[in-house]
Amino acid sequence: MIKETFLHDKHVQLGAKMVDFAGWCMPVQYTSIIEEHKTVREKVGLFDVSHMGEVFVSGKDAIEFLNKLVPQNIEKLNYEKAVYCQLPNNKGGLIDDLIIYKLGILEYLVICNASRIDEDLNWMVRNSKNFDVKIDNRSHEFSLLAVQGPLADTLLRTMGLTTQQESFTIKIAKIAGVKVFISRTGYTGEDGYEILVENRHSEYLWDKILEDGKKFSIKPIGLGARDTLRLEAALHLYGNDLDENTTPVEAGLSWSIPKDKETDYNGKHVIIEQIKNGTSKKLVGLKMLDKAIARHGYEVYKNGGKIGIVTSGGPSPVLGTNIALAYVKNNKEICAGTVVQVMIREKLHDAEIVKRPFVEKRNKIRL
Amino acid sequence: MSITEKILCSKSHEFLLDNGDNTFTIGLTDYAVEQLGDIVFLELPETSTEFKKGETFATVESVKAASEIYMPVSGKILEINEDAVNSPEILNEDSYEKGWLVKIEATGDVQAEQGDLLEYEDYKEELE
Repeated sequence: MIKETFLHDKHVQLGAKMVDFAGWCMPVQYTSIIEEHKTVREKVGLFDVSHMGEVFVSGKDAIEFLNKLVPQNIEKLNYEKAVYCQLPNNKGGLIDDLIIYKLGILEYLVICNASRIDEDLNWMVRNSKNFDVKIDNRSHEFSLLAVQGPLADTLLRTMGLTTQQESFTIKIAKIAGVKVFISRTGYTGEDGYEILVENRHSEYLWDKILEDGKKFSIKPIGLGARDTLRLEAALHLYGNDLDENTTPVEAGLSWSIPKDKETDYNGKHVIIEQIKNGTSKKLVGLKMLDKAIARHGYEVYKNGGKIGIVTSGGPSPVLGTNIALAYVKNNKEICAGTVVQVMIREKLHDAEIVKRPFVEKRNKIRL
Repeated sequence: MSITEKILCSKSHEFLLDNGDNTFTIGLTDYAVEQLGDIVFLELPETSTEFKKGETFATVESVKAASEIYMPVSGKILEINEDAVNSPEILNEDSYEKGWLVKIEATGDVQAEQGDLLEYEDYKEELE
């Protein structure tokens, strides 16, 4: 049985093309992916991402419990702050990637990928045996709206937002009179907010944001543009670029892992060993040198030998070229500037390894 | 007579237009391009290549994915639409007159091969 968000009727009324995504009926586009993409880069866009999971973790051992689950140091996470985390298995492979928010002294919000909620919950419950902790999946109670783009902050201020928030912070606030959790996070590489709202208010808030956003040329944005936006920002997509056989070190996420975390966590021995001694594969960005498009699963070659595989790829509307993320052999001869080939329909097409992100991120808001 | 009254459509969403001189124009239906969304890349075959009915002769890529395009009848490629290769977005504007893909000379029993193609009205009805 395919699930619908509380905004399903709104999407249909807006003429969205609906697709099955991780068991959810979601809008992939309203008008045009490229147009929607540019709207988010230049103005402001509104996304329904209510399919994502919200798990509340609380109790006496909440910190110790979360610290066992993720490589990040939850003890150091301050009130109203957020941290990008991974959920490794015992071999360091990733069950999911998450954002964890600190809502109270012993209360945390974990946002997980729609496709992984069940796996995440199973894993959490299995790991909770020796901890005094409550794991509360409240995904069905909340809608999640993302307001993203350079005008997102200005728009929400006209709707009554008064909080001063730097990036990766969460507050309780009122927008158009509705009480929400609002965090300055997103999945586009732009400045913006994600708004967690009770389902009963979601349709009102959706309409109101589109209405008040008119003067900022707001558009509703589907999952198609969400994917091209995150790809330009080189943000990983679970299931494409991350999976249970890929460690965060291989995925280029070592920057997010503290080297001095003393407590043990699942997969720590593998992750720390890889940070010290390196990995056999690494994630790189590719820029195609002709018009061909590398897609998930295509093979990467150098000097006639296979060196890796593309995990995400598509057009970059901002750059006007085609880009991709790929896992390749980790050696010094394969680095930024190296020209490799991608096998596309039985022909090799040149691509250059480039630095990530492909498009400069503009979401580093400091007050 | 509008173009949709003259074409035949395949279930895989190609159209075939009889030019009346044993040549045919092939392209994608308006339904196909609408379903694909923004078209960003088009790969067409070399002229004088021959394909049998049902064979893949071209690839079209939308932002999301690559799709193969199949020959509605057997034929030899006489001409490809260079404008469509250079600006694939014209398929989204008009896939019939501006955004056609190839012109072919039929090489098989074209009457028999057209047997499973539908007139536009019937094709649209099938989709519903």
